[in-house]
Amino acid sequence: MSRELTIWLLIFAVGAITYAARLSFIVLFARREMPALLAEALKHVPVAMVTAIVVPAIVFTSPGTLGLDAGNPKLVAALAAAAVAWWRQSAVLTIAVGMGVLWLLPYLVR
Amino acid sequence: MRAHFSRTAFFEGVRDMSPMLLGIVPFGIVCGVGAIAAGASPVAALAMSMIMFSGAAQIVATQLLAAGAPFAVIVLSCLVVSLRLIMYSAALAPYMRPLDRRWRNLLAYVLTDQAFARTIQRFRDSDDTSGNASYFLGSGALLWVVWQLSSLVGVFAGKVVPSSWQLEFVVPLCFLAILVPLLRDRMSVLVFAVAAVAVVVLDAMPLRLSMICGGLLAIGAGVLADEARARTSRRGTR
Repeated sequence: MSRELTIWLLIFAVGAITYAARLSFIVLFARREMPALLAEALKHVPVAMVTAIVVPAIVFTSPGTLGLDAGNPKLVAALAAAAVAWWRQSAVLTIAVGMGVLWLLPYLVR
Repeated sequence: MRAHFSRTAFFEGVRDMSPMLLGIVPFGIVCGVGAIAAGASPVAALAMSMIMFSGAAQIVATQLLAAGAPFAVIVLSCLVVSLRLIMYSAALAPYMRPLDRRWRNLLAYVLTDQAFARTIQRFRDSDDTSGNASYFLGSGALLWVVWQLSSLVGVFAGKVVPSSWQLEFVVPLCFLAILVPLLRDRMSVLVFAVAAVAVVVLDAMPLRLSMICGGLLAIGAGVLADEARARTSRRGTR
């Protein structure tokens, strides 16, 4: 199989998978009632999944290396940003403080 | 289609999604660069970002392709990184019920981590089906357009954003801005804690399965805690 053909087949195969995943439960429960236990469980999806996305991006300094101390600039920046997000629900301010700390920290510590 | 469209809500969605673009742009560029590096033609690279429309799947596909992995392995890996989309689909399903099929099909296409995280609270807080759907469409549409444009930059201009800027860190910061305000009750803090510990402990799992497994464990813990609380309150009233 040529490289180009492989790539196109891959695009359509994976495209079908991502779209099927996105549509799956929306279609499944378009007409029928959702079981109570499932509905109950789904309430926790936002916190659980957003945490699972965010935490590794903060606590790992490189793949497989945990940095749970002040020597990890991403951790310090994330804590500062989290404090801002707690007091002010502003994404812009949270990003500004987080990136500000991330960029300035190496100069401050030195 | 027009029956559910609210212009005001659409542009509220666009506005609320815009801070996230700072993290989306570098990611989209990297995906464009990755596709070219894996041997895709510019047209295929752009088709990839339109048809897959998933940074995680695109990165996995192009990296494995470049590494010469077998076709089936690439598809399976992309399936694994797409599992979280099924959870978003399930969480949004009850709110999509009142919509007609064309709306549901369209909104599913623009369902991403960002669009889900950004809009789920509004779906929960408001009964305005049309407003919520339009808000979601606005968030999703902006992300879609910017994703394609940044892929285009990656394909034709290469990596124009230096890694030293660490702009990829904007992505977790955006999610943090959404996550932190959700942690106002004990149940959410419990789910957060379980997810945080589990995702780190399970980090060695292949294909970033730690993310979906950590999330599922946290959801399970939340359900058990809900049950326990319901049981004690029942006992209390007796």
